[in-house]
Amino acid sequence: MALFEKNSGVSPEQVLQTLKSIRDPDLQEDIVGLNFVKDLTVKGSRVALTIELANPACPDKDRIKAEAERLVGSIEGVRSVSVEMSFKVTRRQGSQSRTLIPGVSNTIAVASGKGGVGKSTVAANLAAALMECGARVGLMDADVYGPSLPTLMGSSHTPQVVGNRIVPPVVHKVKMISMGYFLPKNEAVIWRGPMLHKMIHQFLGEVEWGDLDYLVIDLPPGTGDIQLSLCQTIPLTGAVIVSTPQDLALKVASKAIAMFKKLNTPILGVVENMSYYTCAHCGQRDDIFGHGGASQASREMGFPFLGEIPLSSEIRFASDSGEPTVLGRSSSREAFQAIASAVASRVSIANHAAVQTPTIEV
Amino acid sequence: MVPVSIKLSAPGGVAVRWSDGHAATYSYAYLRLRCPCAICRDTPPVVKTEPDPFPILGKGPIAATGATPVGHYAIQFHWNDGHADGIYSYTYLREICPCEDCRGGET
Repeated sequence: MALFEKNSGVSPEQVLQTLKSIRDPDLQEDIVGLNFVKDLTVKGSRVALTIELANPACPDKDRIKAEAERLVGSIEGVRSVSVEMSFKVTRRQGSQSRTLIPGVSNTIAVASGKGGVGKSTVAANLAAALMECGARVGLMDADVYGPSLPTLMGSSHTPQVVGNRIVPPVVHKVKMISMGYFLPKNEAVIWRGPMLHKMIHQFLGEVEWGDLDYLVIDLPPGTGDIQLSLCQTIPLTGAVIVSTPQDLALKVASKAIAMFKKLNTPILGVVENMSYYTCAHCGQRDDIFGHGGASQASREMGFPFLGEIPLSSEIRFASDSGEPTVLGRSSSREAFQAIASAVASRVSIANHAAVQTPTIEV
Repeated sequence: MVPVSIKLSAPGGVAVRWSDGHAATYSYAYLRLRCPCAICRDTPPVVKTEPDPFPILGKGPIAATGATPVGHYAIQFHWNDGHADGIYSYTYLREICPCEDCRGGET
């Protein structure tokens, strides 16, 4: 009977005080101060609480849970502890509310200077990996000239139009839109700037994205109309730069970086694709395009390095068959997961740092 | 450097406060004359600064009617003469800051 239950003397304040020694690995602040501790209940000697992280792909999730259980369990008078882990993806204060996509918390552009470095593969796997962690994810193919996401994600549904809104097909639990859906086979998009601008506007504003934690946007190579329209139309959370390790690709990638800097769009980091090749027969590693060039370049320019992806026929095969590598059993799976986790962590750091957007008063 | 707040109808024009604490008021005419769009750069606009003796014949002196942020890097002003093409990047806006410290005596 609750009335006669002996008071264990444990107070919620005491629990919070104890949890203060746990720090969020991304934001480097204690989880109590960050208000990550939710639903704290103390019933006699039983303590239950939820820790709500900002990063759904946090690699330290299990460690934080174990640590919280151990710490709270060691408080005198506590007999049982139950810690639930959840996440709530943050958004930048007041940023997206007045744009075309009010329900989308974060927009991540995947860009490179040079073509053929694997932007779309990285974008598709980034979206799939974030989805696997439980986040609500959308994928927008802004590469009108060479829309490859329908192939990579294995989807050929034509989107339905309800009212005058386009309903994006859901592929691998990711809402997706691409020019590839609207083009007959063997047709090409041969457009000038204003048409491209209009398309970006429609893909953002007239597609029923609903509430999303992340919208991953696959850009075409270069620094042209599409990139500029995108950066002007919505305040991007940040850009992920993909490059191969070779100098040629890195030189062109630095042009893309210069563009994002000029447009005040944060760079979340650099991904090195086709980083090395492991021979399927003898297991010998060969650095076809050199190795470590992107990590070195990102260090020199002061951007985080997000990870490296090997050149592998498994990735090629998975991509061509429409099953993102990260959802399969390939050995490259972990490389993509690590990158997704790094991107999610950079997003939560960027949102926490709260870059100011001016308030405009009429 | 980014603006923290932009007040469109402050006394004397548009008041901008910057993230480094700097603050200044840009008169409407000053800002309109420095419109960075291609057309205005080519042919500087004629800007009305005095009220019309017969207001019924035309619009009043130049004023900003609205503004929209452009991505993370710029702001687009809407003017009462119908023009709204100029994208004023924050860097440019700061460059043309009209306060005495920034102009260094030049007019």
